[in-house]
Amino acid sequence: MSDATIIILLSMITTGLMLGMIFSLVAVGVTIIYGSIWMPNAANGQFFLLAALLLWSASVSWGLHPALAALIIIGLSVPFSYALEILLIRRFYDVPNRNISYFVLSLGITQILAGIFSITYGIWSDQFQLPPLVGGLTMLGPFPMVNNRLAAMLIAALLLVALFTLLRYHRYGRALRAVFQNREAAALRGVDVRAVYRMSFVLGNAVVFAGGVLFACAYSFDFSIAWTMAITAFAIMIIGGPGSVLGALVIGMVFGLTQAAVSIFASPTIAAFSYLGAMLVILLFRPSGLFAR
Amino acid sequence: MKRQSRILATGFALALVLSTTALAQEPVKIGFVTELTEPWSFFGTSCVAGLKLAELQINPAGKRKIEFITIDNQTRPDQALAASRNLDVQSKVIALSGPTSSDTALAMNGYAEQNKVPFVVPVAAFPQLTKPGTRYTFRIEPDAAGWGYAIAQFVAKQKPSAKVAVIYSDFALMRAIVAGLKYQASKAGLKIEPEILFPQGTSDATVQAAQVRAANPDYVVVIGAGGFDSTLTNQLLDIGIRTDQIIHPFGITTQVKNWGKRSVGSYYGTFFDANLDKLTAEGKQFVDQFRAQNDRPPSYIENYCFVTAHIIREVIDKNPGAGDDREKFRDAVSALKTKETTSGIPITFDKNGARKEYMYFMQIQDVQAKDYKSKQVFYIEWDPEVIPVYDLIK
Repeated sequence: MSDATIIILLSMITTGLMLGMIFSLVAVGVTIIYGSIWMPNAANGQFFLLAALLLWSASVSWGLHPALAALIIIGLSVPFSYALEILLIRRFYDVPNRNISYFVLSLGITQILAGIFSITYGIWSDQFQLPPLVGGLTMLGPFPMVNNRLAAMLIAALLLVALFTLLRYHRYGRALRAVFQNREAAALRGVDVRAVYRMSFVLGNAVVFAGGVLFACAYSFDFSIAWTMAITAFAIMIIGGPGSVLGALVIGMVFGLTQAAVSIFASPTIAAFSYLGAMLVILLFRPSGLFAR
Repeated sequence: MKRQSRILATGFALALVLSTTALAQEPVKIGFVTELTEPWSFFGTSCVAGLKLAELQINPAGKRKIEFITIDNQTRPDQALAASRNLDVQSKVIALSGPTSSDTALAMNGYAEQNKVPFVVPVAAFPQLTKPGTRYTFRIEPDAAGWGYAIAQFVAKQKPSAKVAVIYSDFALMRAIVAGLKYQASKAGLKIEPEILFPQGTSDATVQAAQVRAANPDYVVVIGAGGFDSTLTNQLLDIGIRTDQIIHPFGITTQVKNWGKRSVGSYYGTFFDANLDKLTAEGKQFVDQFRAQNDRPPSYIENYCFVTAHIIREVIDKNPGAGDDREKFRDAVSALKTKETTSGIPITFDKNGARKEYMYFMQIQDVQAKDYKSKQVFYIEWDPEVIPVYDLIK
């Protein structure tokens, strides 16, 4: 195999893994919220962008190291989500068919955040780039892998493993899964359903924030990323099965790898539409998603 | 009866004189519809920052005041259209101006042509804005297909028969640049390979950067949109493309700062830059004032909006009546022969309102947190129809 072929192959794999893990993180965040409180959070893309922009401010304008800034931003998502939950989200917990109300509510949040970004960050720059988490290159054979992306990829992988472990083995994870499956039965078994709702909203948004800061560490970005990520997260959730964390994890990775592979064997344009085409085909045969309960 | 008539006639004449004097003192109103919010807000607010500096200069005592009525179009063609209609019908502006996006400019262009409102476009490069038959639209920025023409000429001068990779985002502006580049490349003996198009919203180009490297080109023309432009550039450099192989068709301040120190040695095209070899005294003053107010040097966007205000001042000063009559204003702009106050580059318009075009190519020398240094390495002027621009881009 020639060096050029190895370089292209390794670039495809690393790109697929990087994108796949970020897609998975965001889709898991969206799924946790949807599965517990039935909120199709259309504002997930703006939350993702908010995290990336705050990280840019903290590291570029205030001079904090991106790693420290990233921890602070993810931490800030907790009071941010709590405030939203107290002010808006909990008011709909007892509303029948609340998913429609939530969807409209999240569209409103999207508009407000987009407006705030355009009159603040939009005046400062049209694009945003952070200093690297770590510098240098690591040679994987003839392929030069940037250490910064390698670090972002490793952190994303660790986060996904931690998230999966939390949801699978921790008491909160079991309670959350019980609420996912049948909230009345969970309540009868002593699960504080409202507390699970609250925790889910906070955790889901923290995961979306984590996706945003990791993306900002690995790539330059602009406002358009909010829309791209919102659509992608919904597509992953629908294919994986709404409310299925495993589905979001697996399909997110498949999306990333498929995009990288199709972009090389066909074209980047076809790659961008390939997952939406796949979504339509899968929904024809499995309308409730591949990993639906 | 006779006496009464005389008094009436005198009164009427007096009223006429007074009303004419009042009219002469009324400011000339220009509708400035630009992108102050939503995705293009950076460009619109940068443009207004340039305009504000010009407003400090163009209204000295004794001259008829020119008033710019600035309205946000929210980066939306429908809003740009609605604002144009409002400015035309309600505010009765003498001319429209302001957009920094081809999409909003096209919406205003349709309105201006249909309703015979002069329209001076500071920053919008889509060629069809000045398609044959255009009468009321005048564009200050060269058209995007022409930029491609200029890139091909620059590369051919650097290395005849060079192999050029083109890697670009799927936006009308980028497609127009590539169309012009490909057209002129075939005439100049350049080989375009590979040509890679990215859909809007792409985040990663590692795989395509590897494909470019495998093709071993002499130059890589990089035309990414927004944040993707820096990602694309970095990923090409990561994979081993040298900085002096990279050509960006355009470079505004934020782009150059984001490309950063690691892009020292790469090239970018522009129409104005703080580092140009020959800035006029006014140009140097403009750069200094802009830097003092905005903590960064201006780029061609701010310059074109600054220049637009000066063009309108010149039109009003040299053509009595142009401030009150749209046809006279239109004819005055059409016949204008002037120079950019900041760089001395000539400004004339052809029969379609397209400008005699030009482009600089700069090579980055150093990038600091708030500033950068670059060196002018190439300059070219051309007639807008030196290539079949309106056939290349429909």
